[in-house]
Amino acid sequence: MSDKVIATDHPLTAAQQQTLAALVDTILPGSADGRLPSARQLDFIGHLNDKEPAFVPLLIQIVDDFDDEFSMLSLTDRYPLVEDFSRSQPQWFKDLLLRLYDCYYTDEGVKQSIGVGQGAPFPRGNTVEAGDLTLLDPVVAKPRTYRK
Amino acid sequence: MSNVSDNSPVDVLIIGAGASGAAVAWSLAETRMRIVCFEQGDWTHSGEYPTTGKDWERQQFGPYNIDPNVRGLDTDYPINNDESPITVVNFNGVGGGTILYAAHFPRLHPSDFQVKTLDGVADDWPIDYEQLEPYFSQNDRMMGVSGLAGDPTYPPKQPPLPPIPLGLVGETMARGYNELGWHWWPSDSAIITRPYEGRDQCLNLGPCMSGCSQGAKSSTDITYWPEAIRNGVELRTRHRVREITLNDQGLANGVIYYDADGNECFQQAEVVVMACNGVGTPRILLNSTSSQFPDGLANSSGLVGKNLMFHPMGFVQGIFAERLDSHKGPAGCCILSKEFYETDLSRGFVRGYNMQITRGSGPLATAMQGFASGAIPWGPGHHEAFEKHFDHVTSIGVMCEDLPEPHNTVTLDPHLVDSNGIPAAKINYQLSENSRKMLAHGLDRAEEVMAAAGAVEINNGGLIKVGGWHLLGTARMGNDAKTSVVNSWGRSHDVKNLFVVDGSVFVTAGGVNPTSTIQALALYIADTMKKNLSNLFD
Repeated sequence: MSDKVIATDHPLTAAQQQTLAALVDTILPGSADGRLPSARQLDFIGHLNDKEPAFVPLLIQIVDDFDDEFSMLSLTDRYPLVEDFSRSQPQWFKDLLLRLYDCYYTDEGVKQSIGVGQGAPFPRGNTVEAGDLTLLDPVVAKPRTYRK
Repeated sequence: MSNVSDNSPVDVLIIGAGASGAAVAWSLAETRMRIVCFEQGDWTHSGEYPTTGKDWERQQFGPYNIDPNVRGLDTDYPINNDESPITVVNFNGVGGGTILYAAHFPRLHPSDFQVKTLDGVADDWPIDYEQLEPYFSQNDRMMGVSGLAGDPTYPPKQPPLPPIPLGLVGETMARGYNELGWHWWPSDSAIITRPYEGRDQCLNLGPCMSGCSQGAKSSTDITYWPEAIRNGVELRTRHRVREITLNDQGLANGVIYYDADGNECFQQAEVVVMACNGVGTPRILLNSTSSQFPDGLANSSGLVGKNLMFHPMGFVQGIFAERLDSHKGPAGCCILSKEFYETDLSRGFVRGYNMQITRGSGPLATAMQGFASGAIPWGPGHHEAFEKHFDHVTSIGVMCEDLPEPHNTVTLDPHLVDSNGIPAAKINYQLSENSRKMLAHGLDRAEEVMAAAGAVEINNGGLIKVGGWHLLGTARMGNDAKTSVVNSWGRSHDVKNLFVVDGSVFVTAGGVNPTSTIQALALYIADTMKKNLSNLFD
């Protein structure tokens, strides 16, 4: 099947998908200790389709800025190309980064790895200790400081 | 929400349903007058606030952004900030700025009302702390304020609820202040730490500044408004006032407004109360021109829109080796210091500032802020840098007192308009030399605190640009009609049935978040109106 034919409802061709996977892996590779995944392991397109489908056409433009060979390169060789892109299209790159980080840091696996509770903050909430109010003793011992 | 939708005359028309409009409506309700409040925005619903969803942080960059120009809702009005180093932030809807505020709730100090007498600058207020004290306390009870009695920087006061938790952030920073022998205290916060008046306590969600899904943050849509409405006040949303009209006697007789469908309408009223904040109020007054007031309503002094005061804010960020769990707990409220609040001329400036410890950000904001500052790169170094910052960061906000200067203004923009064609507000503001010195002093001290608390890396962030939360001074109160817009109880010197109850009436800004004082003033003005009902216009 030609990579120019969209056989599914996926908005990117197979080649574009490979470029996108390489691009997001360059921006957010897996952590050296293997604890955190590469962004290529997440469903970025699914995330955008769900949250912000209007961004997908711009994403395709960004992807098309990289040639087909890009996905074949090593991370080391891809990095300077993405760096060039971030300098030549700073607003596009920032827009991409915001959405990619949003996808990444709302992934439940990533959240678990960085110590953030699962799901939405509400109604789960967080525990915060009241703290040691005897730390105020030296403050209380001071004279009043307000002027009248 | 509206109980009555007809346009028959009302006794009191309040413009704006935010912090002050809600308080004045609630207080006046007991008079059994027919009171209607017009609000240009909508009700918000806690079930729709960002923290109910996984993408809560992303929402803060869009529909729940604190900057109305970024939010861009048709219920917002645009603001031209091109001539100001600080941009206006606000929220337009029932609850106003309290929907997105951090809920820091300190009162102005007694000395803040006597700036001229004590320090020889600006002007004294025509009222003092003692006069406002009963209204501060009443407001604390109505809003639900958490704090700790005994702060030596204030006269005695008793917050109705115990303080918000210090957490690791508060304890760490408290030790830093103690190391230096400087004042600190748990922040008075309009966040309930125990179940209170039918609301449940704070869950430490974190991002108070995008609305509180739990309803623990005391925004006026869930404090004053339900009671005011039960007591007969009508609140009409999507009612945007264009101008106030006058009768032949020079009294306000109503307003021209746009309804939700954009229809131009007229509402007759016996009394008009402005509660639109320090930008919205002068905007409407300046847009209300007539042969009697060609330069704007109630503006014979020429001071409507002048003397705009923000609280210039800067911040210093500290990164700690140990984890502080800093994304947990009320983001903006923890502890604060008044060590440098009162005037000491040896510091090189007059008046002072407070230092507020804020907790950290969530992961998305941490990553994006780190990208912007260069501290957290994308690419192979991302995870290591992110781990170093996330939950290991706290900041000190240095909030400076701004002094009134007539060249700092709110005017009508000649080109920009809102979705109803009403001229937008234009801000012309310069940071004074006094404020610059004060901010520099505060940022240096904040770095000292961070070092004393054990920060392994300290970043001075300088002035915060998108930080014009506190909009003050543009229709100042005073006893002299030549040097003020309203009298000591908020009544226009020029138009005897026109009142201003929001932050516009501040004579000086103090050096703390103003909402507590704005609301105490609104309650005081409402109480004075009630006491003078028989001769309100004399």
